[in-house]
Amino acid sequence: MSTRLSGPERRQSILKEAQQLFAEKGFHGVSIDEIARAVSVSPAILYRHFDSKQSLYDAVLQELSSQRESYVDAVVNSDANFEEVLIGMTEVFIRSIDENPNLLRIEMQSLLDGNPATSEFFENRWKSFTDYINFSMNERLAYDVYNREITILSASLMFQGMVREALLQKYLQPQDRLVDISLTELSRELVTLFLRAIGIHESTLAQKDINPIQLNQHSS
Amino acid sequence: MSDFDSELDASGLNCPLPILRAKKAIAGLEGGQTLKIIATDPGSVKDFEAFCKQTGNELLSSGEEGGKFVFMIKKS
Repeated sequence: MSTRLSGPERRQSILKEAQQLFAEKGFHGVSIDEIARAVSVSPAILYRHFDSKQSLYDAVLQELSSQRESYVDAVVNSDANFEEVLIGMTEVFIRSIDENPNLLRIEMQSLLDGNPATSEFFENRWKSFTDYINFSMNERLAYDVYNREITILSASLMFQGMVREALLQKYLQPQDRLVDISLTELSRELVTLFLRAIGIHESTLAQKDINPIQLNQHSS
Repeated sequence: MSDFDSELDASGLNCPLPILRAKKAIAGLEGGQTLKIIATDPGSVKDFEAFCKQTGNELLSSGEEGGKFVFMIKKS
């Protein structure tokens, strides 16, 4: 026998179960009946709150986007140099997945689902990083650098690939090699490697104990 | 006569760029001067509220104009 919930409470419990199921099985892998069963209501009651699976799915995304991570702290609590802000942003981003790994699962599912709403939602999450890297590199990279545009584009792709893979390994792989690495360590190491790859050696972070590998081909 | 001293167009940019550029623009202002910011990222509404709260600058107004978000910030 299901307990009586108020309208908003019922809606909330449907959203919660739906998020879980969409994360595990993807949009096409879940039926309305299955979600209704998980909430212990009839499909008819579920349809009172959401008129289709798509609208329920959109509401799940809407709810996830309202928990949007804020990068304000990363800017305000630093002297706003590229390296520190990028570290701060990466920490915030990784923490958002740590708090709710369903975000990562839904993102992975959506890559194959081809659902436009989801693609837009996740592209927008990564856009904070790609915008920031593009803009900052555009400001600091000399104008005569060979293949300048492609270099900048590749750098933001590299960053996204690197962070996403680390998150996949940490949160979705059953054998977790990264279990003992803290979020802070992970973001610092990834960002430090990234900075070194794009030729930033003089960062305040890299001063600690990084091997002085010189990748700069221009200076002899 | 305009009611702001400096203007920043951060259209098309996602957080944290609008905040970062605003921080730099405000650094170039005198106390009491006003910066107008235009942004398109819906998250910027909450972000600029938080930004002003944390930096002590005054958020004079926050609104929407023709599909864009417009903020007026007075440097403390």
